[in-house]
Amino acid sequence: MHDVTAAQQIARQVLVTAQEQGAGRVERISLALGAMTMLDPESLEFWLEQILRGTIAEGAQVRIEVLPLRVRCNACGFEGEAPVPDDPIYHLMPFVPACPECGAQGLEVLGGGECIVESIRVQRAEVGSADG
Amino acid sequence: MADTPDGGESLDIVLDVDLSKRTSELADENLALLDAHGVTAIDVLGSVGSGKTTLIMGMVAALKQRRRIAVIAGDITTRIDAGRIEAEGVPVLQIQTGGACHLDANLVRTALGRLDLDSIDLLIIENVGNLICPAGFPIGAHQRLVVLSVTEGPYMAIKHPVMVRQADVAVINKIDLAEAMEVSVEQLAADVRSVNPEIEVVATCARAGQGIDDVIAALGL
Ligand SMILES: Nc1nc2c(ncn2[C@@H]2O[C@H](COP(=O)(O)OP(=O)(O)O)[C@@H](O)[C@H]2O)c(=O)[nH]1
Ligand SMILES: [Mg+2]
Ligand SMILES: [Zn+2]
Repeated sequence: MHDVTAAQQIARQVLVTAQEQGAGRVERISLALGAMTMLDPESLEFWLEQILRGTIAEGAQVRIEVLPLRVRCNACGFEGEAPVPDDPIYHLMPFVPACPECGAQGLEVLGGGECIVESIRVQRAEVGSADG
Repeated sequence: MADTPDGGESLDIVLDVDLSKRTSELADENLALLDAHGVTAIDVLGSVGSGKTTLIMGMVAALKQRRRIAVIAGDITTRIDAGRIEAEGVPVLQIQTGGACHLDANLVRTALGRLDLDSIDLLIIENVGNLICPAGFPIGAHQRLVVLSVTEGPYMAIKHPVMVRQADVAVINKIDLAEAMEVSVEQLAADVRSVNPEIEVVATCARAGQGIDDVIAALGL
């Protein structure tokens, strides 16, 4: 599934940044995933762990925050969050969001498709004394 | 900054990079590159076996006298489809996705780098046989053509609303088998239009070359 592709892209981003900053280790990776990405946080975390083996980010803690689907309804003017089914079938059959107020379809999606690498916590390559 | 158990110094680096945006940015870059070379690109999507390769072969046969065509064949691991299309006498570039369930803008960008874009004006891209994941991955094509076939049953349009909504033209293929499958082509076409009122719907029997000209017209080629 495309969880692997996403994990590869995230891993690349993390490793390139860590290298640029001269990091010796990556301790934590913080991600934010839109509810509409069709990415499964658990599976993504699993693949990230696999891909990062043998790199300076091996064993890094992975934090995933899920961002809600946000929509604007042109029928009734509603603007805000809309529920996304927490159903495994959803991963096989993308659903069409309906307006939580009036039920109309064809909503403008304002947010929920993100796959954001927010930050990483790294340890410097040359470890100084712990006077931090 | 925080002290870690082993005494090293830790540092938080903020990236705030949205990879999904990167995907659409890359797709836009592909489009710009194609436009700069005067190439129109069509992304052809549909389940495995729906008839994408057969349809592309028919389109190439009908168009190759007046258009300079190249084809990108996205396939998970085989070269079978690339070989079939090459038999039509146009350049075919195979992208093996190595297991990924869709082409993405980055794979397509690499492929564009290997084509002589100045020697073509039409690029047909056969996406990986999958109607779900490619919906989230724009590759940078001018139009999306979705191929549904009656052998996939009567509910294909309703089951894949996201893809149908993103497509410009829907082909209902294998209409020669509609009766045997007890699938109504009219109903399927109506389902497609109910999900996407703006879409063009064309019924074909790609294997017999029937309806190919209508597909070409619907795409404005
Ligand atoms: N009966 C019938 N078979 C078709 C038609 N179009 C394609 N096929 C057959 O369906 C099979 C799969 O076609 P192919 O083009 O490889 O599908 P793809 O996987 O979407 O590229 C092949 O055996 C084709 O000959 C059609 O209109 N009618
Ligand atoms: Mg094929
Ligand atoms: Zn509404």
